[in-house]
Amino acid sequence: MKLLGHLFWAAVAALAAFCLGGIAIYRGEHINSIWLVLAAACTYAVGFRFYAKFIAARVMALNNKRATPAERLRNGHDFEPTNKWILFGHHFAAIAGPGPLVGPVLAAQFGYLPGTLWIIIGAVLGGAVQDFFILFASIRRDGKSLGQMAREEIGSVGGAIALVTVLMIMIILLAPVALVVVNALKSSPWATFTIAATMPIAVFMGLYLRYWRPGKVLECSALGFLLVMADIFAGRWVAASSTLAPIFTLSAMALAIAIIIYGFLASALPVWLLLAPRDYLSTFVKLGVILMLAAGILFVRPELQLPAFTRFIDGTGPIFAGKIFPFCFITIACGAISGFHSLISSGTTPKMIAREGHAWPVGYGSMLLESFVAIMAMIAACVMQPGVYFAVNSPAGVVGATPAAAVATISSWGFPVGVAQMQELARNVGEQTLFNRTGGAPSLALGMAHIFSRTGGGQAVIGFWYHFAIMFEALFILTIIDAGTRVGRFMLQDLLGHVSAPLGRTSWMPGVIGASAAIVAGWGYFLVQGVRDPLGGINSLWPLFGISNQLLAAIALCVATTILLKMHGAKYMWITCLPLAWLVTVTFSAAWQKIFSPLPALGFLAQAAKLEAALAAGSVADASTTKALIFNARLDAFVCGIFLLLVAAILLDSIRVWVGILRGKRDARVCEAPFVLTELRAEEL
Amino acid sequence: MTAVRRFGALLMAILRELADENAYQRHLTLHGREHSAAEWRKFSEERLRARYMRARCC
Repeated sequence: MKLLGHLFWAAVAALAAFCLGGIAIYRGEHINSIWLVLAAACTYAVGFRFYAKFIAARVMALNNKRATPAERLRNGHDFEPTNKWILFGHHFAAIAGPGPLVGPVLAAQFGYLPGTLWIIIGAVLGGAVQDFFILFASIRRDGKSLGQMAREEIGSVGGAIALVTVLMIMIILLAPVALVVVNALKSSPWATFTIAATMPIAVFMGLYLRYWRPGKVLECSALGFLLVMADIFAGRWVAASSTLAPIFTLSAMALAIAIIIYGFLASALPVWLLLAPRDYLSTFVKLGVILMLAAGILFVRPELQLPAFTRFIDGTGPIFAGKIFPFCFITIACGAISGFHSLISSGTTPKMIAREGHAWPVGYGSMLLESFVAIMAMIAACVMQPGVYFAVNSPAGVVGATPAAAVATISSWGFPVGVAQMQELARNVGEQTLFNRTGGAPSLALGMAHIFSRTGGGQAVIGFWYHFAIMFEALFILTIIDAGTRVGRFMLQDLLGHVSAPLGRTSWMPGVIGASAAIVAGWGYFLVQGVRDPLGGINSLWPLFGISNQLLAAIALCVATTILLKMHGAKYMWITCLPLAWLVTVTFSAAWQKIFSPLPALGFLAQAAKLEAALAAGSVADASTTKALIFNARLDAFVCGIFLLLVAAILLDSIRVWVGILRGKRDARVCEAPFVLTELRAEEL
Repeated sequence: MTAVRRFGALLMAILRELADENAYQRHLTLHGREHSAAEWRKFSEERLRARYMRARCC
């Protein structure tokens, strides 16, 4: 039996190596997506079975006889022992955001290979290790947050940096994801109506849950889902109506203002009215669509049309500027390694873990599943013809504002595409145009619609599936925006409470309105900047988001390394130090290039200098807009510089602590809660 | 058939957890209370306040 087990795992490992080697070496016409699926699934299986088990058994020494905080501090609310598979679903739903969907679609400009390899290897050796270790550390420390652990294990500087970073990331994160929605909805009455109608549906759900059927969340969400489906069909009718279509045909700026107003309302209004019902609905739709996409890919097994590498590995890409290193690794954050996950792993989940051993599937396994979502997004992006992919994702400032100019530019890169072809595609999916729809959402929706329509219905249903995918992405992202704004408001009020007590009270309306407005103004400014940016906004905002997210991952890995050192000395510190060294190298290189590169398409300061020279020469059409663009470029450079300083500060502080521990000059005692024997019975789970 | 039924039960349990319905049941059991509109509103307000004070994932 043992021999059979060895043979099975040897076969899985061989299949993983064969598929990874296959996708890395094969340079034929097209490769089938099933190669990517098998390479990912087999590598995840080997990583989960061997690497994660080694960490769980040898490094963490997980002990199922040790009572977890869920048992010791059980209160029926936060602390509650929960079945591991239920918690797995709960944790996965919490970590799965739009990042793993959008990042791979953007990184596909390098071809399918760099992003795919980074997603698979990054998750197995970096992202899943980070999530697993932080979850373990939090379980052993009564469910403490990342900030609290940073303060206790590294020092007050580390703790303060973690807090400041989280608030900054909250603001930076919301702008690019809001821009993704803006670019998906602009000049699209069908999509705009569909998303606008989800607001009254959410309010209806809120009233239904509070007054008509209290507590029936699943029933209410099922009703909400049916209404949203009807809403997609109604959107087609609105787009065809000569009276209604112009009302819902909005410019990017009008949509940005609408989203800013929405974010403010969702933050200031009672949470049960708008935010919570949308959140419930979005969670179920998200999980359902991810399952549908997995089933669709396995059923259709589409061929990848994009090559393994494109010419844009040299850094001249139209979607975002910069070479594979470091920009592929900050563009794809959430599917490979995401600092944000450390907040979830030290938030709700450690308070619900019933047995220490459950941290293995919940912490490590959930991240592998998230990584697989990123692989599916990569496949969805790469099933499109390369010319179509670049026509949709390239900004007008790069390829030209007219369809003729855009197809000429893109075809000259070796990716042939025609105006008639793009018009027919737009007509099939019910859009006026698909040119310059940057941000990743429309191209992901096209890829998903392509896969779903091939399961049945063909071109007749591609329009429905396209708008279904847009609805899914926008619903998902708007939930991040409204919840993120509210969280940012609470964080700001918490800080302001130290200055003036009433400002800290979350029930004092002037404080609520002021703090909501400040947070909305923060991300709204960057959103408007993105809309105005002639290079499409994603070029400057997405790297900022990626750098900040990876910075948070670096903080989490610094905390994890410090704990590892205290537990075992230097013996196992490579487990977290290797991904940390990689992340620091990537983050520093990317931030440095974004600030100081002499290329205006890449470096913020070079961009500002180029615009200033044009302004001085009088060769710009609108001086005030150009002045605003110059200011924005310098502001982005400043924000990037702040991130660089934060990474450097926490890294140096951590190294100081590590050297002290290794030389025996610092207290190396771990701050774990004392051992208590579990009394939890198996039937209670 | 049993495996399918068990999988269905697990799926429903995950959905009920995500929908906070399990947490509400635990709340009623812990405090020995009966379900009512007022009780749900009290539970829901506390739960949502705590949820939206924590950072959300991207």
